[in-house]
Amino acid sequence: MENAKKWSVKDVITLVLMTVLLIVIQLGLNMVCMVNDFVSMVLSVGISMLVCGPVYFLMVNRIRKRFVSLVYMTLLGLVFLMMGNWFLLPWFIVVGIPAEIILWKGITPNRLTVSWTLSSLLYNGVNLLPIWFFWDTYYSFAVASGMEQSYIDAYVQYYTAPGWVIFILIFTVLCGFLGSLIGRKLIQKHFKKAGVL
Amino acid sequence: MRETALSVPVKVWATACAILGVSLTANTLLTCFLALLAFCQLVFEKRWRLCLTFGVFYLALVLLLYLIRFHSLRMVVFSEFYVLMFYNLMPVFLVAWDLITTPPGQLSAALSKIHTPTPVILGLLVVFRFFPTMKAELKGIRQSMKNRRLTGPVQVLRHPAVTCEYVLVPMLLRCLQIADQLSVSAIARGAQSPGVRGSYYARKLQLADFLWMGIWAIGTILFFIIGGIK
Repeated sequence: MENAKKWSVKDVITLVLMTVLLIVIQLGLNMVCMVNDFVSMVLSVGISMLVCGPVYFLMVNRIRKRFVSLVYMTLLGLVFLMMGNWFLLPWFIVVGIPAEIILWKGITPNRLTVSWTLSSLLYNGVNLLPIWFFWDTYYSFAVASGMEQSYIDAYVQYYTAPGWVIFILIFTVLCGFLGSLIGRKLIQKHFKKAGVL
Repeated sequence: MRETALSVPVKVWATACAILGVSLTANTLLTCFLALLAFCQLVFEKRWRLCLTFGVFYLALVLLLYLIRFHSLRMVVFSEFYVLMFYNLMPVFLVAWDLITTPPGQLSAALSKIHTPTPVILGLLVVFRFFPTMKAELKGIRQSMKNRRLTGPVQVLRHPAVTCEYVLVPMLLRCLQIADQLSVSAIARGAQSPGVRGSYYARKLQLADFLWMGIWAIGTILFFIIGGIK
């Protein structure tokens, strides 16, 4: 790492601001995708990864310190914790660690691409963990809410059939990869020129 | 004018009680009891407008839930799941909203009293200022896109990717600028100074504060006795 490792006030504020922006975008897209079961279960993670890729790139490139990804993932986990899915907080901390390891020796565009693509893959835990490990909790809550059976059926159908799971994983990875490519391009096209990096 | 707002520790305590109550209860429908308690707190603090807006929202949720349960109403856009989720989380929303709309000065005073590290205080204050600022920024971007005739439905539908870029890039740039400005102003006000952080807004706990702490503790325990623990 080329510059000092100590976090300044500016880094903290930038990190928090961008992280909140990322979380708002992710949750907002999620809400919009709720309209359709197929879109919300199969495509929504990929779409949000696509849009958030550039923001993540800019955030890491701007701060250029270690632990940016880890803090971002932890905050994201905290938001999910507040929404009632406690098991996602440890999960997101786990997701942040490989990203940190990849970026440990210095931040290059290639490493960033790898770390974001990997994060996209692991982000699927949001939907897959409940069905694999915490199904009872989730199911009882869903039934108690008088949720229609077709929604639960669709959920089970998409996340247990191997074909669909593989499709979802590949789709999100592709979207994450594409998002990081767009991020690189946008940084070259706008942010480098504007002199903010 | 007499100060009617409760102090920050009490609000944190209330939020903790509400979260505990909502997440551990066996009877989801009974959370209206906690919501009632939260509304009482708002009334006590004389936050009428907040009370009214949330009250109307809550009543609408209750009505929807009633219709879903007993008249098998089916929703088109909004899943039933979310109606119950919002209903269930309402007590938490109420007290948490009360907490985060505390004037920032009081919040940071309370936080520095318990020796929170400065980065955490700064981060929290930034989060609370985020939403109003972003709203204003988005409005500005929309206006400038309109000036260039980029908001028409035809334009947006024909070039969705470009439209995304037009929104995202200025917003990100502004975010970076705001972060810079904020940090400059924070440092200028001594955010990095090593001494003990004092505050104009620190205040002692009063009788009403202790009273409300007790009310929340007893209320939560009662709630568990009536509703049962999961």
